[in-house]
Amino acid sequence: MTPGWFLSLAAIGIVVGIAAAFTAPRLWLSATILGLGAAFVAAIWILVSGDVWEWQPDFYIGGESLHLRLDAISAFFLVLLTVVGSAGTLYSSEYWTDKDHPASAPAGRAWWNILFGNLGLILLLANGLHFLIVWELFTISSYFLITLHRDRRAVRAAGWLYLAASHVAVLCLFAFFACLAARTGSWELGPMHDRSELAPLFWLALVGFGLKAGLFPLHIWLPSAHANAPSHVSAILSGVTIKMGIYGLVRFTGWLPVPDAAGWTVAALGAISAVLGVAFALGQHDLKRLLAYHSVENIGIILIGLGFAMIASANGNPAWGQLALAGALLHVWNHGLFKALLFLGAGSVLHATGTREMSRLGGLWRAMPWTAGLFSLGAVAIAGLPPLNGFVSEWLVYLGLFDAVSSQGAASFAAIASAILLAITGALALACFIKVCGIVFLGLPRSESAENVHECGWRMRLPMLILAAACLAIGLAPVLFWPAVAAASAVWQPAWAASPLPAPLATLGAVHLALAALFILAAVALWQRVKHNGLSRAGTWDCGYAAPTARMQYTAGSFAGIITGWFAWILRPKRHETLPKDDFPTHASFEEHTSETVLEDIVEPAGAIVMRISSSVRRLQHGRVQAYILYLLIGLAALAILVAIKVVK
Amino acid sequence: MITALYILCRLMVWLLLAPLLPGIINKVKAWVAGRRGPPVLQLYFDLAKLWQKSVVLSTAVSPAHVAGPAVAWVALAGAAMLLPVGSAGAALSFRGDSLLFIYLLALSRFCIAGAALDTGSAFEGMGAAREVSYAVIAEAAVITALLTLCVQTGSVSLGSMLAPSAGAGAALLAAGLFGVLLAENSRVPFDDPNTHLELTMVHEAMILDHSGPPLAVILHGAALKLLLFSVLLTETVLPLGSLSLLQAIGALFAAVLAVTVVVGLVESLLARLAFRRVPLLLTTSFLLCLFALLVAWKGSKP
Repeated sequence: MTPGWFLSLAAIGIVVGIAAAFTAPRLWLSATILGLGAAFVAAIWILVSGDVWEWQPDFYIGGESLHLRLDAISAFFLVLLTVVGSAGTLYSSEYWTDKDHPASAPAGRAWWNILFGNLGLILLLANGLHFLIVWELFTISSYFLITLHRDRRAVRAAGWLYLAASHVAVLCLFAFFACLAARTGSWELGPMHDRSELAPLFWLALVGFGLKAGLFPLHIWLPSAHANAPSHVSAILSGVTIKMGIYGLVRFTGWLPVPDAAGWTVAALGAISAVLGVAFALGQHDLKRLLAYHSVENIGIILIGLGFAMIASANGNPAWGQLALAGALLHVWNHGLFKALLFLGAGSVLHATGTREMSRLGGLWRAMPWTAGLFSLGAVAIAGLPPLNGFVSEWLVYLGLFDAVSSQGAASFAAIASAILLAITGALALACFIKVCGIVFLGLPRSESAENVHECGWRMRLPMLILAAACLAIGLAPVLFWPAVAAASAVWQPAWAASPLPAPLATLGAVHLALAALFILAAVALWQRVKHNGLSRAGTWDCGYAAPTARMQYTAGSFAGIITGWFAWILRPKRHETLPKDDFPTHASFEEHTSETVLEDIVEPAGAIVMRISSSVRRLQHGRVQAYILYLLIGLAALAILVAIKVVK
Repeated sequence: MITALYILCRLMVWLLLAPLLPGIINKVKAWVAGRRGPPVLQLYFDLAKLWQKSVVLSTAVSPAHVAGPAVAWVALAGAAMLLPVGSAGAALSFRGDSLLFIYLLALSRFCIAGAALDTGSAFEGMGAAREVSYAVIAEAAVITALLTLCVQTGSVSLGSMLAPSAGAGAALLAAGLFGVLLAENSRVPFDDPNTHLELTMVHEAMILDHSGPPLAVILHGAALKLLLFSVLLTETVLPLGSLSLLQAIGALFAAVLAVTVVVGLVESLLARLAFRRVPLLLTTSFLLCLFALLVAWKGSKP
């Protein structure tokens, strides 16, 4: 038994799943999960043994021989794909059933497996042409998953935007791989550090993969696509597919030489994405849209780490570069885990209440204690608070930045700025997630839709539990996961291969464990004391007001108001208000929403200008044959003149 | 086992001394106003009484209302264990513990704000919103202060970062951190701990619905946080690491007392700011820390 054996088992599982998707949902479920499980075993095998699995059969597609390779970087991302993928698969079997969605559920299952097959192949392929083909298939299969519910207008619009943006990315990647193949003379991919003339190609890869990863300002497609897709699809989109952009960047910055400015650019884009991503998230009232903007933030944190690793790798500073890279890689896992958990939680809220609008929710913890508890755990993790996994990876990135500062080298000033921005991001994320938990799960129901709700069933609960357990495990025992991170970073920069465990990680894990135990102990002890002293219930203090209603509770918009005010220059919130008039005002209303500034204020106006120019050119096309003959004559005459003056031979 | 006992003893000293600080501040305020004022030990009496009292819980609250204060208190006590005392070092010290320190404070903020939102009260929502919003700038200031110390000492562990004095930039850093201390502990001019108008409070607004033991835990946690920030401020300025242990402890006590008295004087002599001015003042604190960082940078360049 070898990794290859498990990978073929995985392929069989995925293909059987596609075949069973339309007729046998139970077989689909077990085949898919078995397939993902087999892939998981193969990935762990590679990460533990440190081997590279290669397979190059005598089999040609498009004139190129098939070449699969599973090394530690691929395996690292494959682990995330399989864990989040199996959680999402189980979740979808209750969330998107044939009963509720007779038209889209079977097709959804098929596209789901096609997407997984493609994602797995992207991680395995070591041939540029095949990579491009599969990348395009991956783009299309996720389009069909996003638009599963396509009788809604917003979903179609989101899908269209996704398709357009993704194809800009595909075009950039097409140029990238084509130039690469043209200069090297082969589509084969692999380490090529000695070819310094390939360095400028990095910019094409940055735009192509950056669009997919959703880094600011290339994230325009991400919020609407993630918000409008079914929640199990959102979990995969946010947890896994945007990480394919990160995979591309990690893979090709590891294999190809990069220009001098590359690391600085990546770190700067990362810092901008982190702060602005969370600022936009604070302005959102739609639960899933808010979570989508947090993906932009977390991709930013990952890129800060990767950027500093690139700077260190270029300047030969292994010590802090390694920490930054380890933080970035671990954050890939962590973000995948807690963001999938949060999207699944949001899905279960949506399933129960039928709305994503936070101002209509509230008090859900009573009816949905599991969802509330697990979502809150994910919130603590994503806010980067100890003792969970988000803190571990952010801490590694911070350590890298602080070491870069104290080394007083060229990167120090950038590290100072990044560390401060990272701290601001952390505090903003905390504000955002206390808002979400407080408004959605605590307090009293703000509308009828939040009143008569039910907890989700075990097939939706178990995936959330698994993801939450993974978050907890990485937080409490980070040492166990270090070998995987070390193996992947050794492939990225072989010079850093002999990386000893950064000593404090074990201590941090022990401190986390002690803290977690003390948290539980203190909470139980305080509750015992409260019960011992006697307990009575009364209404919330409302300043003596006689007729309070649940709608008088603080809203998401007001909660974030102070901070969104600071960021109004970029958020550009839109207000619609009817002020109370007359002595006896009858009607007044106030509404504020934050739209996607980059899309509406930059991309759409630019698109409008292009359309205007194009439509003025279109006047040439009017259907009058005489004029067309005139064009022909003018063209021929121009050609004749060119030949006459010997410009063209 | 002995290590555990040692940590426990140090923790007890922190926990026992913390409620003294608000008492001293109140005494200073009373003196300046020409009153006799409550006894310095008043908070100890209050806490003892609250711990015995029965609890009134809002009908809206979840278990987070009681669990939140408990977790926040443990987080603050944990942060206290990371702070060194002169040459004795910290009870718990490792590379990167300075970041854990900041994030433990953040965790306590998350828990208290969560417990506040739990009641569904608009007042407590306002308090929580203000707390988490102002903390954004405060956290930027604290991390800048840590970066200054990191540049100065080349270390990321509080034990060695706080041992020497912050050098030339010490005055700037002290001023910046003092602003953060006032803001994070809800003192005048950022917030008024004595106010009785729900609309204008920050910290007090968040705990309107707490009573009995959970309130005692919150009040004790707040006192602990004040002590934490006073010690942090003192240790950045004074070179406690170079003194003998007894001298260091003596200097630490004297300096924390001085900080507390200054807080009391500020509270007596200044009015609180309008809310829209709070971010400006906090940004000033952040800039002071940033200037301290630049001074440290220039100073440490060979």
